[in-house]
Amino acid sequence: MTTTLTVPKVKRSIFRRPQATTGFRSWFTTVDHKKIAIMYATTALVFLVLGGIEALLIRLQLAGPNGTVLTASQYNTMFTMHGTTMVFLMGMPLAVGFGNYLIPLQIGARDVAFPRLNAFGYWVVLFGGIFLYSSFVLGGAPNGGWFGYTPLTSSPISLGALPGRGPDFWTVGLIMLGIGSTTSAVNFIVTILNMRAPGMTLMRMPVFCWMMLVVAFLTVFAMPIVTVALTMVWWDRNLMSNFFNAAAGGDPLLYQHLFWLFGHPEVYILILPGMGIVSEILPVMSRKPLFGYSVVVFSGIAIGFLGWGVWAHHMFVTGLGPVAVSAFSLSTMLIAIPTGVKIFNWLGTVWGGSIRLNTPMLFSLGFIAMFTIGGLSGVLHSVVPADTQQTDTYFVVAHFHYVLFGGLVFGIFGGIFYWFPLLYGRFMNEKLGKVTFWLTLIGFNLTFFPMHILGLEGQARRTYRYAEGMGFDALNLAATVGSFVIAVAVLLLLVNILVSRRHGAVAPHDPWDARSLEWSVSSYPPPEYNFEEVPQVEARDELWHRKYTEDESGRLVRLPSGGADAPSAGAVATLEPDARDGGGDGGAVVPSGGGHGAGGHGIHMPSPSYFPILMCAGLPVVGYGVVFQNWYLGALGVLILIVGMYAWALEPSSE
Amino acid sequence: MEQAAIAPPAGGAHASTPVHAGHGEHETSTGVTNTKLAMWIFLSSECLLFGALIATYLLYRGRSKGIEPADVYNIPFTSATSFILLMSSLTMVLALAAIQRADYRRTKIWLVATALFGMVFIGGQVYEFTEFTRKGVTVDTNLFGSSFYLLTGLHGLHVTVGIVWLLSLWGLTTQGRLQQKDSETIEISGLYWHFVDVVWIVIFTVVYLIPM
Amino acid sequence: MSDADTTTTTEPVQDPDHNMLVGTAEEREREKKYGLQEIPPEEVPLLPGELSHHPSPFQYVVIAMILVVITALEVGVSYLEGDIPNGLIIVLLLGMGLVKLVLVASYYMHLKTDKPVFRRFFIMAAVGAIFLYLIVLTTLGVWDGGS
Repeated sequence: MTTTLTVPKVKRSIFRRPQATTGFRSWFTTVDHKKIAIMYATTALVFLVLGGIEALLIRLQLAGPNGTVLTASQYNTMFTMHGTTMVFLMGMPLAVGFGNYLIPLQIGARDVAFPRLNAFGYWVVLFGGIFLYSSFVLGGAPNGGWFGYTPLTSSPISLGALPGRGPDFWTVGLIMLGIGSTTSAVNFIVTILNMRAPGMTLMRMPVFCWMMLVVAFLTVFAMPIVTVALTMVWWDRNLMSNFFNAAAGGDPLLYQHLFWLFGHPEVYILILPGMGIVSEILPVMSRKPLFGYSVVVFSGIAIGFLGWGVWAHHMFVTGLGPVAVSAFSLSTMLIAIPTGVKIFNWLGTVWGGSIRLNTPMLFSLGFIAMFTIGGLSGVLHSVVPADTQQTDTYFVVAHFHYVLFGGLVFGIFGGIFYWFPLLYGRFMNEKLGKVTFWLTLIGFNLTFFPMHILGLEGQARRTYRYAEGMGFDALNLAATVGSFVIAVAVLLLLVNILVSRRHGAVAPHDPWDARSLEWSVSSYPPPEYNFEEVPQVEARDELWHRKYTEDESGRLVRLPSGGADAPSAGAVATLEPDARDGGGDGGAVVPSGGGHGAGGHGIHMPSPSYFPILMCAGLPVVGYGVVFQNWYLGALGVLILIVGMYAWALEPSSE
Repeated sequence: MEQAAIAPPAGGAHASTPVHAGHGEHETSTGVTNTKLAMWIFLSSECLLFGALIATYLLYRGRSKGIEPADVYNIPFTSATSFILLMSSLTMVLALAAIQRADYRRTKIWLVATALFGMVFIGGQVYEFTEFTRKGVTVDTNLFGSSFYLLTGLHGLHVTVGIVWLLSLWGLTTQGRLQQKDSETIEISGLYWHFVDVVWIVIFTVVYLIPM
Repeated sequence: MSDADTTTTTEPVQDPDHNMLVGTAEEREREKKYGLQEIPPEEVPLLPGELSHHPSPFQYVVIAMILVVITALEVGVSYLEGDIPNGLIIVLLLGMGLVKLVLVASYYMHLKTDKPVFRRFFIMAAVGAIFLYLIVLTTLGVWDGGS
């Protein structure tokens, strides 16, 4: 053995490298994409409840004319926080959570490209969300709308437009969250492009991964734009700059352009993951491949590109002039095409299939129906004269709830039921699931369908009450009733999740007879290293092709040994050294050990780390420093960030 | 999808080594490393950031009331600092070339030179800002003031981060912890640095030189 | 899991020229082989992601000289304001700025010698950004000249 002279060892840091990958404390230092995903989803579901409570308060206020549940100022806070929460703290984190769990498994990788950065992205959501919500007790919650139009939000505090710290918490909080979103997006792009298993070409990749790739690109290019817009708002408000100060020649419309340049891609960021989820569930529950895979993929890419060209349709009544308005009207109509194409492909998938109408399938079918309705009202918006009447009324509220709730949320709910067995080795309660679906569907339509009518009859958005005798009463009451039905449904869903984790029916291996690689792992939940052996991919729907082939008449024939690493029932991992690659170092194997090689393969997993969460803790400190203009706090936060960053950079990714 | 490396002429003993994702597991699907791909994606997103700021400046230059760029700009001075920043790109890429051939002495020299040039540039910016303030252009003066300071201020912040990064790399090289096999680390920091220089090329042309 | 850390035996050997780093035996071998002399570019290992070798230091310096010359020309052109039409100045300046940008991106950032994937992302983002912001500026009436 040669004497190895090594570089002088780095000074032992104060904290020894955490080793544990199990136990409560391991969650704070984990870099495992699956655990991070669960944290994303859990946090997002908590914010779903918070955002939902805000919605219920709004609905209570609007249940009857001249409501007295909320003051005008409180109402402004409620609809601002409802929107901000649902978009930034529920929708995006849930989508990223799904992506985090599934992308590595679906492409045959062991983790994402940058595991510690992955953890950091999650902690940003938690700390950013807490930061935003702390505003309620620290000087006023954001109250300028989730879109924060200027000059209302940018008007300096001294001029009294929006007293309190609300807009400052909003701008700083969103910039903070944007940092996390951007890092996650970069992580996903590199993972998907660089870490696919051998044989997994891009056109063999599951559609969900494709959609997440497009989403990641949208995120990475849209976030900087809103960061600039938000910074300008903060500067105007706190440094008396003039970006949106009309008296100095500034143009508040610039803000709207910058915001919607971000905001429109943002809504595609929200919906594409739902489309991806549905594209996974429908084929499995119809026992048919996705109809027109390439077309669905290219439509997703087309939406990603075209989505950049439609933003001013949010500004049709701001006086853009006929040329601009016509151009954006046209581009908005155009984007309906790839969207519609996908709908037809999903229908084509289900048509003639051997359908199982279980809860995931119900939600997916519900997605198609609800999203189509939302898409139709969207196409109506693209017609400028019509939109001139519809904009700023409840018609718009109906439209975007149909596409976002009826779209993304239905897709997410379906996805939760679908992938639950993968995470926990158990099914969610199917009966309760079906009840949840019907309650959601009924409650959702009862809440939002009337809003189409209310909007066309003239009920304005963002107004805290309406007068008697406007003809709005009955439908508003119906909407309020519907919102509580939704609340019950969400409650049932959460109960189902919590109870089924321990008491759900045990799921067999590959319970849905699925098509993609995440189901091929040796145990549910998957082992830390995901796959015993990195899969060799030979086809699209790789798992399906391992299980089945077709005989001369086109009927499915089950292959003898297809599909799994080690078909074991339930959640117990049985690991055996694989003789085929030489046995590794043979002998006993430690499952779920901290970063040790497993299965005798010497699989090297990235090690846990303190620094993602530690470094991230600097962000809210900086945030408070900026909001309260306390430069000591700000400096402290920057110090934490810098120290955390150095420690992170100098720490090897695995030890 | 991997491209074969160009075979080096006789005497060289190296084909391009298979590109590892990071843990020595297997090659990356595209043949480029994760970190380099990540940096390019980040730089692409920064195009959108600086684009918004430059667009804002362009929008407001004609509408600003009161004191104008022509009243305060010192083109010879800014040309000098721009020249310094350009030269820092040269020293940066020479640092990369040096570490690629394991010339650690020159690596350190060029790294420090780059950081020094960056510091001179920042010093120039600070001087410029104080001069402008003295002449009556501050963030709140008018549209010109607001958009100028946001754009160049954010750029200066990027340069400062770069300087700290470079000095850290110099420190690591001094301790022997950055070696030829880690050339990519210098390359990544170089990409960032060059990008910041490229942004300044655009700013110098569009903000300082182009007439109203 | 590597336990190389725990097998350090003696003090790390210091090279008499203290500018040199301390390395593993393998690395010191390589030092001996290549020394501090200029290694011909062909012998420098290709970094991952490279299609062909990076430009040589000499080429880098040449590019730097070109950049300086163009900058001087730019400043010169800007002083011609009033003598030649503004439109021409703008075209010249933008053109020269673009040339500098392309030079730095192609040679210093190695886009010319690297695999195309980087080039494609960056160009897409840069061109996309220009396009989007031009639309915004047009819509906001930037071409109408003053308020």
